[in-house]
Amino acid sequence: MSHAQSPVRGWPPSGRRGNPVRTAIRGLGELLVTAGLVVMLFVFYEVYVTNWFSAAKQREATAQLNDTWRNGRGLVDRPIKGAGIAKMYVPAFGPDFVFTVLQGTDQDVLAIGPGHYQGTASPGQLGNFAVAGHRVGQGSPFNSLDLLSSCDAIVVETSDHWYVYRVLPLQGESAGWAAGKGTQPQCRGVEPLPGRYANVAGKTIVLPTQVDVIAPVPGQPGRAPTNRLITLTTCHPQFSAQQRLIVHGVLVASYRKVEGQRPVELTAGA
Amino acid sequence: MYSWIWRHLPGPRAVKLVQALVLVAAVLALLMLVVFPWVEPRLPFNAVTTG
Repeated sequence: MSHAQSPVRGWPPSGRRGNPVRTAIRGLGELLVTAGLVVMLFVFYEVYVTNWFSAAKQREATAQLNDTWRNGRGLVDRPIKGAGIAKMYVPAFGPDFVFTVLQGTDQDVLAIGPGHYQGTASPGQLGNFAVAGHRVGQGSPFNSLDLLSSCDAIVVETSDHWYVYRVLPLQGESAGWAAGKGTQPQCRGVEPLPGRYANVAGKTIVLPTQVDVIAPVPGQPGRAPTNRLITLTTCHPQFSAQQRLIVHGVLVASYRKVEGQRPVELTAGA
Repeated sequence: MYSWIWRHLPGPRAVKLVQALVLVAAVLALLMLVVFPWVEPRLPFNAVTTG
């Protein structure tokens, strides 16, 4: 062997600070890799870290609401923005699914929990109790809203009442409801609503501009309500803001609160 | 960039390593606590209300 030296001329590089072009290209590469890592970190933040922050805020809001209910102070007809107004249970999402609903739908309110659209009805009242919630991150209270079926219970607890709403018949279920799904025990009190409510289905996907889904009569702003509805809104599809997923429910029962008792809808599952 | 930072950290290798970890932690904290919370509402991932 006559060539005992390194097979590539100039390799390995002798000096640390050799070629300026190489240094510049390496710097650029490092920058791009770093940018990629930052984007991945952002996804991690959005999907996990915001949940940790929100969980702490939600715990605090719940403690405050419990306190208000216990001592009766701070109970007002027009709660200020960010104040807890009710607790929401969805037995179909599991026995531990409970969120404190706050007044208002600003970003900083929704970071704590589901937010009540100001100006829409209060829980249990005639009209439309409308609530927005995050689907991804920030505690993602409405992560699984798309999995709700007709007749699933949405239970709302206020300072003095339990209100039991159930999801309205979905699109395509209304025909033959009375002889079909309407006969199931959990569907008592749920039926396709007549008259001005004829077009209100349990679940719809709308454009972000369609504010009338939270009108007293959904889809028909300005008309006087004759029913007590609940409306939940979140983003759709997941990770996107192109559309909104809307769930409408109707009040089927309400109970005056008794110390230490929970409504049968919560104790017997969905 | 990273080698430049490494060269400019003072002390022996172990001390450099500790400083580098502190730097990484500081950058992470800055991103998670300041930058991302500021950026988030400006991105269209999480609009859940109508109107």
